[in-house]
Amino acid sequence: MRRTVLALVAFLLALAAPAPFRAQSPGPSSTRLEGDWVRIDPDGVGSFDGLSGVVPPAQLLPGVAASGRGGRGRGAGGRGAPLESTGPKPEGVPYIVVAQPCSGGVGGRSNGALLVNPDSGGVHIIEQKDEVIFAGERGGVRHIYLDGRAHPSPWTPTPAGHSVGHYEGTTLIVETTGFTAGAVPGGGVRMPETRLTERFELSREGTRLTITYTWEDAKVYQKPHVYSYYFDRAPTVQSGGTPVSYALEEWCDAGDPIEKQSIVPPKQIIK
Amino acid sequence: MLMTRRLSVCVAATVLASVPMTMAGRAAQEKRTSPDISGFWELNFDSRKVPPATLVPAVTRAKIDAHAKGDAYAIRWCNLLGVPFVMDSGRPLDIRQGATAIIIVPENASAPRYLYTNRTAHVSDEIFDPSTNGDSIAHWEGDTLVVDTAGFHGEHGITSIPGGGFRTEKSHLVERYRLLQDGALLSITFTWTDPTVFRRAHTYEYRYHRLPPTYEPRQWLPCNPYDDERAKFLDPPPAPPKPAGRAKE
Repeated sequence: MRRTVLALVAFLLALAAPAPFRAQSPGPSSTRLEGDWVRIDPDGVGSFDGLSGVVPPAQLLPGVAASGRGGRGRGAGGRGAPLESTGPKPEGVPYIVVAQPCSGGVGGRSNGALLVNPDSGGVHIIEQKDEVIFAGERGGVRHIYLDGRAHPSPWTPTPAGHSVGHYEGTTLIVETTGFTAGAVPGGGVRMPETRLTERFELSREGTRLTITYTWEDAKVYQKPHVYSYYFDRAPTVQSGGTPVSYALEEWCDAGDPIEKQSIVPPKQIIK
Repeated sequence: MLMTRRLSVCVAATVLASVPMTMAGRAAQEKRTSPDISGFWELNFDSRKVPPATLVPAVTRAKIDAHAKGDAYAIRWCNLLGVPFVMDSGRPLDIRQGATAIIIVPENASAPRYLYTNRTAHVSDEIFDPSTNGDSIAHWEGDTLVVDTAGFHGEHGITSIPGGGFRTEKSHLVERYRLLQDGALLSITFTWTDPTVFRRAHTYEYRYHRLPPTYEPRQWLPCNPYDDERAKFLDPPPAPPKPAGRAKE
């Protein structure tokens, strides 16, 4: 009798189980991170160097050499390496020149490094129950695994490291390690063992995203190195009378000689 | 024993009472949810069924060669490579189905594709800059995801199309995604139309195999356009010197 009841219960529970490979119903958009975002300048500093300047200086252990303040050295992604520029240039010679346009460091623009330190390019978040994709218009993608997996060992360090995450309410907590050695904003330094914790927090209205970065490494930092970046939902554009938002594809042709120069002053007419 | 029997009956009654609601709820859920194609997907050696395309006479050998040369250039300079290449790049795809879009993430030098499920019209060509991936919108027809893509760039990235032909700014791609064999396979049929290239619609199919969910995408494969060894490997050989002209008699 007991076995019969147990078998019946098991059968009925199986009927109630959700079918495999079916999508979850979406929640209200204002409570979701998913969508298009752009980094903002809430303090009105007006420049990237200024934005880097509001990051508090990292408190490094004695003997640990600080990186450049901006933390945008080789491997951090971006448009490429600038040449040293000293003094005014003669007429017709470009005065902003990029040595290696479109390079983005090792792995080109596809290694996700730019998404560890997002710049002005739009960023896009897609949420699925097993993985969140954090992608950038300026190149690269980060995979944030929600499926309970551990950080792999062994692991070959990458510019974006290995990320696992979980939600606390609507806040996404991401833990990343396994970075290639490099710079961190605020003069910080990271090694493969350094741990980064990011909190992706939505405002109550769902229009402001705050990412708080906490870098920890007992061999590098005296105390956790913490700072925040702020993002607003990307502005929409009118398309056929409907507001739309979509990811742009930033084109960059490293083989185009024009890409190696940003601005060539026009001939000056002196009267 | 009597207590155990009563307890068992109570449990069964409780479950029975919830079944109609559960089954009705499930039916309603299936009606409003769609299949989930999320996962890591890989092509095998026998995954492609590609017939030859039927091209318009205006597509000459010279035009095909010019596009092939452009493709080689895009590879040499680590440019974004785009569609159709991204769907058969030699590495697995990571597909994640979100609430507003489905993202297809390659492991190499291509931008991810966004298949927008939150709109039914393409971005107006008055404001959309043609791109290597174009603008994709998607909707479900039963268990089939139908993806419509327009707004391709005619020269950027790899423009050659499997089976023949190449994408232009007039190209239009319709894809149909279906899960097969209880989700172990993902079938995608690609149908290209372009009056400047194809005499009739060109259709081919790929079947991707689902990788284990614990798969780790590889992100460290470099593409450095300034690597001299790589450049030597990919650059075309120098043209042979022209023979000296005959001296005038």
